Amino acid sequence: MTEHDITLTVNGAEHDLTVEARTLLVHALRDELGYTGTNVGCESSLCGACTVRMDGEAVKSCTTLAVQADGAEIRTVEDLGTRHDFHPIQEGFQEEHGLQCGYCTPGMMMTALDILEENPDPTREEIREGLEGNLCRCTGYQNIVNAVQNAAEQMQPAAVADGGETDDDGPTPATDGGEKQ
Amino acid sequence: MTVDSLDPDDVDAADILGSAIERREDPALLTGNAEYTDDIQIDGMLHMAVVRSQYGHAKLEGVDTSEAEAMDGVHGVYTYEDLVSDETPGGGSFALPTAWLLDSLKQVEHPVLASDKVRHQGDGIAVVVAEDRYTARDAAGAVDVEYERLDAVVHPSEAFSDDAEQLHDDAEDNVAFDWEIGDAEKTADAFADASHTASIDLDNQLLIANAMEPRAAVADYNPGTDELDVAMTTQNPHVHRLLMAGVLGHPEHKLSVRAPDVGGGFGSKIHHYADEALVAWCSMMHEGPIKWTATRSETYLTDAPGRGHETKAEIAMDDDGNIVGLRVDTMANLGAYLSTFAPAVPTYLYGTLLSGQYDIPAIYGHVKGAFTNVPPVDAYRGAGRPEASFLVERLVHLGAKEMGMDPVEFRKQNFVPDDAFPYETQVAVVYDSGEYTKPMDEALEMLDYENFREEQERARDEGKYLGVGFSCYIEACGLAPSELAGQLGAQAGLWESSLVRMHPSGTVTAYCGTSGHGQGHGTTYAQIVANELGVPYDSVEVVEGDTDEIPQGMGTYGSRSAAVGGSSLVKSAQKVVEKGKEIAAHQLEADPEDIEFENGEYSVAGAPDRSMSMADVAGAAYLAHDIPDEMEPGLEATSFYDPDNFVFPFGTHAAIVEVDPDSGEIEIERYVAVDDVGNQINPKIVEGQIHGGIAQGVGQALYEGAEYDDNATLMTGSMQDYAVPKAEHVPEMETGATVTPSPHNPLGVKGVGEAGTIAAPQAIVNAVADALEPFGVDHIDMPMDAESVWSAVQANATADGGAEPGSDDADHGGER
Amino acid sequence: MEFSGTFELEDTTVDEVWLALSDPVLVQESLPGCTFLLHVEGEEADFDELAEQASELDRELTNDPEVIAQRAFKEGERYAALMQVSVGPVNPTFETVVTIDERDRPRMDASGEGSSGDSSFEMSSSMALSETDDGDGVAVEWETQADVFGKVAGMGQRVINPVANRIVKRFFSSVQEELHDLGVGEVSTSDGDESDGRSLVDRVLGRSKSTDSE
Ligand code: FES
Ligand code: FES
Repeated sequence: MTEHDITLTVNGAEHDLTVEARTLLVHALRDELGYTGTNVGCESSLCGACTVRMDGEAVKSCTTLAVQADGAEIRTVEDLGTRHDFHPIQEGFQEEHGLQCGYCTPGMMMTALDILEENPDPTREEIREGLEGNLCRCTGYQNIVNAVQNAAEQMQPAAVADGGETDDDGPTPATDGGEKQ
Repeated sequence: MTVDSLDPDDVDAADILGSAIERREDPALLTGNAEYTDDIQIDGMLHMAVVRSQYGHAKLEGVDTSEAEAMDGVHGVYTYEDLVSDETPGGGSFALPTAWLLDSLKQVEHPVLASDKVRHQGDGIAVVVAEDRYTARDAAGAVDVEYERLDAVVHPSEAFSDDAEQLHDDAEDNVAFDWEIGDAEKTADAFADASHTASIDLDNQLLIANAMEPRAAVADYNPGTDELDVAMTTQNPHVHRLLMAGVLGHPEHKLSVRAPDVGGGFGSKIHHYADEALVAWCSMMHEGPIKWTATRSETYLTDAPGRGHETKAEIAMDDDGNIVGLRVDTMANLGAYLSTFAPAVPTYLYGTLLSGQYDIPAIYGHVKGAFTNVPPVDAYRGAGRPEASFLVERLVHLGAKEMGMDPVEFRKQNFVPDDAFPYETQVAVVYDSGEYTKPMDEALEMLDYENFREEQERARDEGKYLGVGFSCYIEACGLAPSELAGQLGAQAGLWESSLVRMHPSGTVTAYCGTSGHGQGHGTTYAQIVANELGVPYDSVEVVEGDTDEIPQGMGTYGSRSAAVGGSSLVKSAQKVVEKGKEIAAHQLEADPEDIEFENGEYSVAGAPDRSMSMADVAGAAYLAHDIPDEMEPGLEATSFYDPDNFVFPFGTHAAIVEVDPDSGEIEIERYVAVDDVGNQINPKIVEGQIHGGIAQGVGQALYEGAEYDDNATLMTGSMQDYAVPKAEHVPEMETGATVTPSPHNPLGVKGVGEAGTIAAPQAIVNAVADALEPFGVDHIDMPMDAESVWSAVQANATADGGAEPGSDDADHGGER
Repeated sequence: MEFSGTFELEDTTVDEVWLALSDPVLVQESLPGCTFLLHVEGEEADFDELAEQASELDRELTNDPEVIAQRAFKEGERYAALMQVSVGPVNPTFETVVTIDERDRPRMDASGEGSSGDSSFEMSSSMALSETDDGDGVAVEWETQADVFGKVAGMGQRVINPVANRIVKRFFSSVQEELHDLGVGEVSTSDGDESDGRSLVDRVLGRSKSTDSE
C-alpha cells in the first residue's frame, strides 16, 4: 500500500503524518492524531456524524481521503469553546437540549456553523433543509433546530457589527459575550 | 408548549427535583471530550474484523483462512474450531444464551461463530485480528468460504408454510414457541353475542434501531492478573458481564464490563451479541488489547431488529358502542436464533397490553414465534408495546367507524373509568393509576378538535383530504416485581441496585446499576439524590455503567431507569438519612425519635438551634470519634429496589395529516402529544425523550422498514436504503403533559423513554385512514410511502365502488 | 431482483443479431469488464486454467458465419467468463459460469452464477429477438432474474440497479457497434434477398428453415 507524507493543520496546530492512500480523513484525525471528538456513524457520507470544516467549509471526513486534505486547515469540535467558555453554537445546544447521546452533535454543530455562515438568520425550514445531511436518532431534531436558532440569535449582533465575519477564528469575545451567564 | 431549560445555579435546592435544568453531561459531549468506545486508544492495540455470511441461509462447506493468515499485519484468524479447542483460552459455551424462557420455547443453539450452518447474513464465520482496522477488514475479505446455499424464509407466514426450509433441527416447522394469554372461550362468547365487529389484518414491519454510534468493544486481557476488561457499547453492563462470563468461561469476578459514553441504543445495545464476546476472546488469545467497531453495514446485518408481526385481529361491540371483546392472532418473527430477551417481547411485553386504555371484558391473544433467516429479533424502543398499542388503536379506530361514532366519543366511552384504578385487565396486569380522559381532553383542546372537523368538511369540498388520527396509548415500564418476572420466564430479577456514598467533606457519589446512553441520568439522578439528602445539586456525582464501580445492576431499557433505578437511589439515600439521624441524635444528645430531617439539616424537634448539617454528620461518621456504640463508621448505603408492580404511563397523541390521493403523498400538518408519565424529575429531559420517541414512531409510520429479498438478503442495508428520518421528515411537535403519579414508587414516576415511539405510528396511520375515508381506505401497512397510499386509494376506488380520486362524489363519500 | 427491458438495434436484421449474439467472441468483446468468455470443457471451471487458455487463444471477431458457427453457443453447454464490475466504490471480479438452457432462434435462455470473494450472484436470463415495427431494426427483449449476495448485495438496489442497467445498455450498444463495424450481417444481405440470407444463417447454425417462426 502506497504511503504518503501529508500535513494537516488541525485547529491551528500543524501535524506531519504518513498515511496510506486510502486512509480516510476521519481516521487520520481520530486514530493518528487523537482528535476523537469527531465521530463516525456510517463511513458512507450519509449520516454527517463525521462532519468537520476543511478550509472553512463543512465536509464529511469519512468520504474525504486524508491525502486530499493535505495542506488543508481542518477545524473540529475540539476547537469550539471550552466548557467554561462555550461557543454560541455549543451554548445553543446546551440551552435547548439539542443533544441526548451526543454522538451526532459534533457533526451537527459543524454543519450548523456552515448554515449560519451562509444565512445568519435562518428560518426553521431553512435549518431543517441545511441539516439534510446530518442524522440524529435521539432528539427528533426539534431541539436541534431550536439550538441553531438560539445560536443564530447569540451570533447575530456580532455578525452584523463585524460585517458578517465568520466564526472560523473561534469564538470572538464579541460573539461570546452578552448572553453567557 | 416548549419547556424552557434552567441553569441549575438559578434553582433553589428545595426545587431541584422537578426542575428543567440543563444537563450536566452536555459540556463533555459538546466539546469533543466525551469518550465513546471507538475513541479508546491503548498502546499495542490490535483490531478485529468479522467474516460474515454471504447468504441468509447456507451450509458451510469449508473455510480457508490461509490467504488471510499470510497477509502482512495479520496476527491471527480464528474459526469455531479454534474457539472450542482445548489449546485456546476460555472453556465456556461459546453459544449465546437467551434470558427469557417460555413453556413451549424451543431453545436452539446459537454459537458465536457458525460451525456448520449460517442462518442469517450477520452470522460470523471467522474473525481476523490484525494491526489496524483496514488490514483486519482486508484480511476478512480474503477468507475463503465455501457454501451450499439453502432456501431461506423471511416472514413468519413463510416460515410456517409446509414446504419451508427448516432452520433448526430441534425447532419443528420453524416454530419457536406457541403462547396465549386471556380467555379464549369467554372471548369467543363475547364475539358470538356481539352486535358489531371490526377486523384488521396487518403487518408490523421489522425496524432497525440505527443508534448513531455503531456497536463497538475494546477488550484488554491482563495475563498477569487474569483480569479481562471490556469497554463496550452496552445498555446493561452487569447483565453483559454475567452472560459473557458464561459464554467465554471466564469467571464473572475476573471480568469487568464498562460502558463508556454510549451513542444511543434504543434496545439494540441490550442484547448479548457474538461480536463483543469474540473481541474478549481474541484479547485473551493475544493477551493484549483488541478493538472491534462495527461498520454501519455490519450494524444493519447484526443489530437485532424489532417488531416483525403478522397479525389478524378483531374487536367486538354491543349495540351501544361498548367494546365487549378483542381477539388477536399474531405470528411473530424471531429471526435466526433467540436473542437475549427475544421470547419476552412478542409475549409478555405485547399480550399484556392488549387492553389498551379500555375496559374490555374479554380478551384473547395467541402468538406463535417463528425462526426465520433475518437477524435475531429482539427489543427495539417500545418492544412489544408499540405492536400492541398500534393494534388496539387501529381496531378502536375501525370499531368507531363500524359504530358510526366519532372516534373520540367512542374512545371516551370505553376508557377505563377514573375510579376503577388500580384496574385489573383481562390480560394479567394491574394498571397502577390513570385518568385517561385528561390527556385526551388536553389534546382535543390543543387541536381545536371541533373546528378541525369543520375545516375537514370544507377542505373535502375543495378536494383536499385532511384527516385526524388519535392514539391513546398505554405503556408498561419497569417490569416488576422480580418474582412475577420469574413466573413469566425471566432468567433474571428485574430490581435495580444503587449505592449512595457520602464523603467526609459532605459531597456525594451516587452509583446506580442502570446505564444511560443519552437519557441524562447524570443530571436526573443527581436531582433525585440532592433532593433526598438536602445537599447541593453540584455536590452529587453520579456513576453508572461500570461493573467495577457499581455493586450490581440490571441496566437501562424498557423505560425503567427513573422508576426502578431512581427509586433505588431514593431508598439508598433514605438509608443514609436514617443512619445520619442516629449519628446526629448521638452528637446532639437527643433521642433519634426526636430528630427531624429537612433540607439537609438534622435538628432536635422543638429545638431548631440544636442542629447539624448533612455534611457535618458525614464528617462525624468518618471521623468515628463519637458515634453510637456498635455503629460502624462511614456513611453510605446500598439498596436493591424491587418494585411492587410495573408502572403504566399513558397519553393521547394526535396527528393531523393532509393526503393527496392522486400522488399518495402524506403531509403531517400538526402533531400533538399529551403524555402522562407521572411525576417529572426534569421536564426538559422528558420533552426530549418524547420528541425523539415520536420521531422514531414517525419513521416507522412513513419511512422505515427492513426489507429482505426471498433469499433473506437485506435490501435496505445502508442509510441510503433504510430511511432514518432526517430533520425535514419530522414534524414540529406540540407537547403537553398531565401528571398522575404512580402510587407505588417513592418518586411517583412512570417512565418516558418509549412513550413517543409507542404512540406515534397509529396516530399517523389513523389520520391517514381518516383522510382517506371517502375512498373507503381502512388500513395501509407501514411504512406508508406514496406508492402504497396511492395503491390503496386505487384499489378501494375500484373494488368497493368507493370514490375515485379527483371525482366529485369523493367529497361526500364517507362523511361521519 | 428482476430486470428487464427492450433494446432496439437499428439498421439490422434478426438474423444478423442472432448471429452476433451466438458468437462468444463478440459477446466477450461487447460485455464491459469481461476478460474472457470460454466454453467449459470439463466438469469444473478452473479459472486459472481458463485464464491461461484465454491468453493463448487467438480468436478474432469475424463476420464469417462459418467461423462463428464453429464456436457458437450450444444449448446445454456451459461457458465461463471473468468479469470485473464496478459497484459503488468497489470493483469485484466475478468468476461466472453460465449454462445455455435453451437456444431456439429467436430466443435464448441462460442461467448461471458468479462469485467474487465476498459477493456472489445467481441469475437466469432470457432474450427474444423480433423485428421492430418499422421493419429496419431488431428489438431485443430481455429479462433477468438475479439474486445478489454478500457485500455487493449490501449496497442496496439503488446502487445495484443502475449498475445492472448500465452493463446491459453498454453491452447492446457495443453489439450494435460491432455489428456495424464488422458487417456481420453483410454476408447474408450481400448474398441476395432476405430469405436467402436467413437460410445461410440457418445453415451455418445448423438449423432448418422450418424451425423458423417468421
Ligand atoms: S460517518 Fe461520515 S457521513 Fe456518516
Ligand atoms: S443526540 Fe444521539 S444521535 Fe443525535
